[in-house]
Amino acid sequence: MAHVEVVRRSMRPEEWTALRFSWLKRGVIEDREEILTWRIQDARQTGEQSYEFSDGPERDLRRGDLYFTPDGTAFIRAEARLPERFKGRKVYLHLHTAAEMIVKINGRYVGGLDPNRDRVLLNGYVDQDHLRIEIEAYNRSKPDDERNPEVMAVRGCRQVFEGGYLVILRENVLSLLYDYTLLMDIAQSGYFNEDYRHFLFTELSRALDRIDFDTWEGVDDAAAYVEKVIYANTDFRGSGDVALVGHSHLDIAYYWRRIHAVQKNARTILIQLRLMDQYPEFRYTHTQAYTYETLEKYYPELFEELKQRIREGRFEPVGAMYVEPDCNIPAAESLIRQFLYGQHFFRRAFGKTIDNAWLPDVFGNSWIMPQILKKCGVDYFVSNKMSTWNDTNRFPHNNFLWKGIDGSTVYACVPPTHFITWNMPSQIQENWEAYQDKETGGQTLSMYGYGDGGSGVTEEMLELARRFSKVSVMPKTELTGGAEFLHRNLKDNPNLSTWDGELYLEMHRGTFTTKSNLKKLNRMLEFRLREAELRAALAAWSGEAYPAEELRDCWKKLLLNQFHDILPGSHIHPVYQDAMADYAEIGSRLNVLLSGEGTELRFNSLPFPRVLPSFIPEENGPVTRNGETGYWSRPAMEGLASGEVPPLPARPGWCRITPAEDGSLRVTTPHYILTLLPDGSFASLLDPALNREWVKAGCGFNRLHIWADHPGMYDAWDILPNYRDVEIPLTVSTPLANTYLDESSAEFSVTLSAERNRWTVIIRLFADSRGIEVEHRCDWQEKHRLAKVNFGVNVLTRELVCDTSAGFIRRPLTKNTSWEQARFEVCHHKWFDLSETGAGLAVLNQGKYGVGLEGEEVSLSLLRSTIRPDILSDVGTHSISYLILPHEGDAPSAGINNLAYDYNVPLLRGNPRIPEEWRRFLCGSGCWLQSLKLSEDGRLLVLRLSEQNGARRKLIFPAPVRLLNMLEDDQGEILTAECRPFEILTVGIPLA
Amino acid sequence: MKTYLEQVLAPRIQGDGGWVEYESEEGDQLTLIFRGECSKCHMLDRCTAWMESRILGDTGRTIHIRSIRRKPFFWDNN
Repeated sequence: MAHVEVVRRSMRPEEWTALRFSWLKRGVIEDREEILTWRIQDARQTGEQSYEFSDGPERDLRRGDLYFTPDGTAFIRAEARLPERFKGRKVYLHLHTAAEMIVKINGRYVGGLDPNRDRVLLNGYVDQDHLRIEIEAYNRSKPDDERNPEVMAVRGCRQVFEGGYLVILRENVLSLLYDYTLLMDIAQSGYFNEDYRHFLFTELSRALDRIDFDTWEGVDDAAAYVEKVIYANTDFRGSGDVALVGHSHLDIAYYWRRIHAVQKNARTILIQLRLMDQYPEFRYTHTQAYTYETLEKYYPELFEELKQRIREGRFEPVGAMYVEPDCNIPAAESLIRQFLYGQHFFRRAFGKTIDNAWLPDVFGNSWIMPQILKKCGVDYFVSNKMSTWNDTNRFPHNNFLWKGIDGSTVYACVPPTHFITWNMPSQIQENWEAYQDKETGGQTLSMYGYGDGGSGVTEEMLELARRFSKVSVMPKTELTGGAEFLHRNLKDNPNLSTWDGELYLEMHRGTFTTKSNLKKLNRMLEFRLREAELRAALAAWSGEAYPAEELRDCWKKLLLNQFHDILPGSHIHPVYQDAMADYAEIGSRLNVLLSGEGTELRFNSLPFPRVLPSFIPEENGPVTRNGETGYWSRPAMEGLASGEVPPLPARPGWCRITPAEDGSLRVTTPHYILTLLPDGSFASLLDPALNREWVKAGCGFNRLHIWADHPGMYDAWDILPNYRDVEIPLTVSTPLANTYLDESSAEFSVTLSAERNRWTVIIRLFADSRGIEVEHRCDWQEKHRLAKVNFGVNVLTRELVCDTSAGFIRRPLTKNTSWEQARFEVCHHKWFDLSETGAGLAVLNQGKYGVGLEGEEVSLSLLRSTIRPDILSDVGTHSISYLILPHEGDAPSAGINNLAYDYNVPLLRGNPRIPEEWRRFLCGSGCWLQSLKLSEDGRLLVLRLSEQNGARRKLIFPAPVRLLNMLEDDQGEILTAECRPFEILTVGIPLA
Repeated sequence: MKTYLEQVLAPRIQGDGGWVEYESEEGDQLTLIFRGECSKCHMLDRCTAWMESRILGDTGRTIHIRSIRRKPFFWDNN
């Protein structure tokens, strides 16, 4: 039987309606007067408020001219006079652009222009006929456009100037256009009732039949028809209750440098303030204390206006943190400082303590956060990505309770849909339908507003919101604020479900590894800052001056670079260069504070004695490690004490090396009998003391792998579950050989290569330590490759224990469920451990975060080489170190966490003094001395202790102290404290 | 020219998520490789014209740029 497909080529009625809807847009402008006096000065931004002008002098700018240069800012100006015929009417400046523009007229900020809005209202801001127009414009924004992705093809670095005009509008056409924007969205959306959509198409067409599209007569008649026939219809019913919160997600750096975020932020705030002038019901939320700081510094006039709107409760600071940081990689103290400096800013500037964390775009959230939130005055947590970006499982809650590692609980909201929407009925309906806590969670949260310089909410979004209540099929909606939504729906809600665990994002797993240098330096500087503060605080205890501002500046610069598209590595090359320059600057400033001049003694800032061999840099030292010469020491100093750093004791004959015919080496030390293969991996690690073999038969152990790594569009972000499909073979260029041996340590080196990468792997053994250090020196010129080192450990366990920086998390190694399968790459901090009853093996690292859970083996992710957004990501030379540490007992009983601090915190010159009773207390507390600093008000020494082994401890302080929260607010005097498992405790020691 | 490109023009291109590399130079023709956002830009010619004018202004040389686009695999679907 013949098959004939009937293809309809004639216009459908729905298409006729859609076509006429598009004509309405043409009719909005009633009259216009072109401005012909435009002048432009091309520039390139070089600092937060500095520019270079190397693209020539100021020139005329005429319609049809190209304007903007690559990485371009432009200063555009014109003089104009208000036409007589416009007087008494609402007049707008109209300029269609893909750039982002701040518009000043006669010295006053009147508004902003960008791809989402092409006019600014002059009435109310300009009171003269003569107009002096000044525009600061930044070209290029995001590499994508959520609403109109096709337009990106024509948004290059150089645009065509389409002219600038003074215009007046047909307000009735504009109003009808908004009606149709709303109703056409419903008519075209599968989220709504099909019968209603049919009704809409019919009636929308009938309304348009009343309009003469040449003369624009009949518009009022059409509007009346829409009102009477469509809005008045209640035959069709929707359901739901959706809270609409306006915001503008702003990446501090991404496809632009952080210097550009200063203007992006100012533009966004200006536009929202101008909308507030016109829409009294409009409320807007804005995060990141840093963005407010830059506004206060560079745009004081706008900042004053903003403060007034904050006082009125219409502009709402949310988020509490300094920036929206990555919430996987920063250590606990960094996250605390995000809140400390964020909240202190909000208190100083606005008299407010923000009670919510607002992190819509971060790539998952560590289990340590609830406690930090609670103790930083934050009861509510908002983060979107788990619901909308998970690649395997649907996160089961939207409004719920989140229980942290220590048992602290916060109210949490993971909204059902994306955090960038443009307030369309279909998006609101989609949000309601995706909402999983309809019966228990109250309203659902829908965020609306463009992000990243798209400048947030638009007039259209607010006009649509005014019409929502007229549409019977829509959920009930309400324009509200972030805090109000959270308080109303979550606070004291007894029906909320609880999520007890990390908020793992099943995507962006590559961000634990991408841009290795950033991660390594961030780790190093976190510890350097701790050490510098601790020493300065000890000096202040003795009455010396405390460099509060210098330390705060260093912290803030580090925190800024923990932004969720900087530290994770998902940014263009100039952002990386900025971050590395910032890290170098922080390092230099801290080196001054940590110079330790006048003493050869080294200070052990750990609250316990050193156990591992410490590498001491020394010119002409016999050992080269991480590019420095030096020697190995095992300092005999107590915790929080200074001492000398003698070389490791000599143990003649401690190491016997026997080459085998197959190229392997059999090495016997006081601790192990190792069989090392020519490629540097271990065939055997026999442990006579524990009477066991640590290498699992048939697996690689310390085996380097290079995998083809093609995650697609989200190149810097993602590692896909199939990354092991294609392995790039490594060739042994120089087989393993003993390259150094003295009476306390030995080195075995091998050189490997594959394609455009070359590795020297150095295995270090010690006479006096069970630790086996491995250093990888790598020349990495790759594209789309992932380097990992695998460990097949002869341990029967179903879980991997991972450091979180404030306690450990147990992660299943089994692949029984889709949840377990999705967690094939996770974030850890200084160590991971595989233990069975009686013994286990830990791997301690310096600056690595990604771990692969691969069934029989566990892998430490070393390097990636992605090309988007940065072509050169990770290209260069690297030095990566980790320590393999077999041990008796499990990780807590073996003290692995302390050993990881021992491994990460270098011994630096200095001889600070600490009162002996306090030294004894701190060393005996069983807690990690996370921070010792001068309080922000300069009146107390702030002591932060962190229980990280999951034990309950009783603390008896040497003297009465003030119990503080993490914002350093006084909670009363205490002499003793019970520290719960994984609790972080902050107290203040009064200064004499 | 390679040094000029790397020090003056390439940072500007990188600032917008693009990438340019020197490939070769023959007479007045300069061949450049474009990656990143440039590799899929519909208006790359506008940028190369700007580069030509900058080169003329800064070095006094009149050159013609031949652009080679290197799209990453995930955009190379047509």
